[in-house]
Amino acid sequence: MSAELPAAAAPLLELVALGHAGAADSPMFWLQGLPVSRAGFAASAAALAERLPNARYAINVCENRFAFATAFAAAIARGQTNLLPASSSPDALAALRSRYPDSYVLWDEAVRGGVLVPRKPNGAALHEVPLIDGAHPAALVFTSGSTGQPQAHLKTWQSIHHSGSTVAARLFAAYGHVNIVATVPQQHMYGLETSIAVPLAAAHAISVERPVFPEDVRRALAALPAPRVLVTTPVHIRALLGAATRLPALAAIISATAPLSSELAERAEIQFAAPVMEIYGSTETGSIASRRTLEGPHWRLLDGMQLDNADGVSRVCVIPGTEVVPLQDILEVDGDGFRLLGRSGDMVKVGGKRASLADLTFKLQSIAGVIDAVVFQPEANDHTLVQRPVALVVAPGLSENEILTALGRLIDPVFLPRPLRKVDQLPRNTVGKLPRQALQQLLVNA
Amino acid sequence: MMAAAQALEREVADLLISALNIEGRDAESMDPDAPLFGAHDIGWGLDSIDALEVALAIQQKYGVELRADEEATRQAFTSVRTLAEHVAAHRH
Repeated sequence: MSAELPAAAAPLLELVALGHAGAADSPMFWLQGLPVSRAGFAASAAALAERLPNARYAINVCENRFAFATAFAAAIARGQTNLLPASSSPDALAALRSRYPDSYVLWDEAVRGGVLVPRKPNGAALHEVPLIDGAHPAALVFTSGSTGQPQAHLKTWQSIHHSGSTVAARLFAAYGHVNIVATVPQQHMYGLETSIAVPLAAAHAISVERPVFPEDVRRALAALPAPRVLVTTPVHIRALLGAATRLPALAAIISATAPLSSELAERAEIQFAAPVMEIYGSTETGSIASRRTLEGPHWRLLDGMQLDNADGVSRVCVIPGTEVVPLQDILEVDGDGFRLLGRSGDMVKVGGKRASLADLTFKLQSIAGVIDAVVFQPEANDHTLVQRPVALVVAPGLSENEILTALGRLIDPVFLPRPLRKVDQLPRNTVGKLPRQALQQLLVNA
Repeated sequence: MMAAAQALEREVADLLISALNIEGRDAESMDPDAPLFGAHDIGWGLDSIDALEVALAIQQKYGVELRADEEATRQAFTSVRTLAEHVAAHRH
């Protein structure tokens, strides 16, 4: 720690951006084809803030984006910290409540002990938008890995605000005031930035819907006026192409959470007649850089990012004077950005969650009756939307189903191998290693 | 009538197995009423990405468009039986 340097005082930042011309009446949300103004949103958040209980943490599991954003802003206005769990299952919430006892739950559907958040504005008039200390701990975002408890990542109000404005400046400003449909959940960092931080910090509006299937995406976009932007992932882009969905005119498509192939980007640009932009980021840092996938491997850093490579580790400083965060990937600094030299070969990502293959293998080997096993990432296939990890197991006394059931209790089920195949032995070479090609071959032939 | 419904259930189960890369499962041995989502040991243990894969496979094979915001879709995704019934009612 650099104790000599006085910490830069964090600025006071408006809870809802009202700086631009006509801001109060401009749309911030689209709800069943109708706009909710910035002033209408701010008034609803202020009213909700008044009736929140006293607590340090607000567990925000609202699904509708208007409700989520209202709850998010209201908790911040009350000096509370939003907890954003990836899952709202009773088990996940019980675990969170015991880890953060001074907390309550904000719901927008059924009240199961907590506060019910309306999915519509309350119609009240706006008096004042509060200024929030940038240093306020606005949210904890969780990464669920393959290991035990989800890990919490703190986001200050300044960092939320900063990511909303830098993402908006880079990706949306060129099209004017855009209207966004996002297929990603706001409890995940990419979704939080693009669907909540952007409308809070910049003059763009978002649909309250979170469409999943291709036909839902088409309808949600059709309910918005142009310019429309689709914020999504490679999985949803594949699904839209696979279903031959005809979308209304788009200004841009934004993709993140997993690498997008240039082949897929090209097909999407042709079918949807819009540029496909990718965001590079992580839960720890938020968005760092962007590129148009078809323009090549160069990533341009977002405004204010400082990238540094030393001792073979890439680190980024998102806001000058704040913490420097090491990245999982190795980057090569290149002009105003970088090239991705490689993702850590051990990491696997499914549905925005990441896990270590070594750890998944270790968990699989720990099951009683398993003699030897390996979990690995096979060559990509064209047949499924998502490539999950696969496993080869030596376990003469167990069925594949028994192994999967046992493994499902030890790891996040999204990482369950597809397929998991039993074999007589693993193709270990003389030093006990497993050559990749031999594994791939055994998987195909098993 | 019953035989046709059973054949379609079997076809939908096969579609799930191939669309989701879970060849370890045997379509014949799966209970058509087993839940699609949730615990792996009592049902299929599918997740939200699988729902997208299944919806796409069903659209490609039967021309049936699924919408997540419809109650009918939620009900269809209960089990192989309900999914097959939904396909039978909406296929072209």
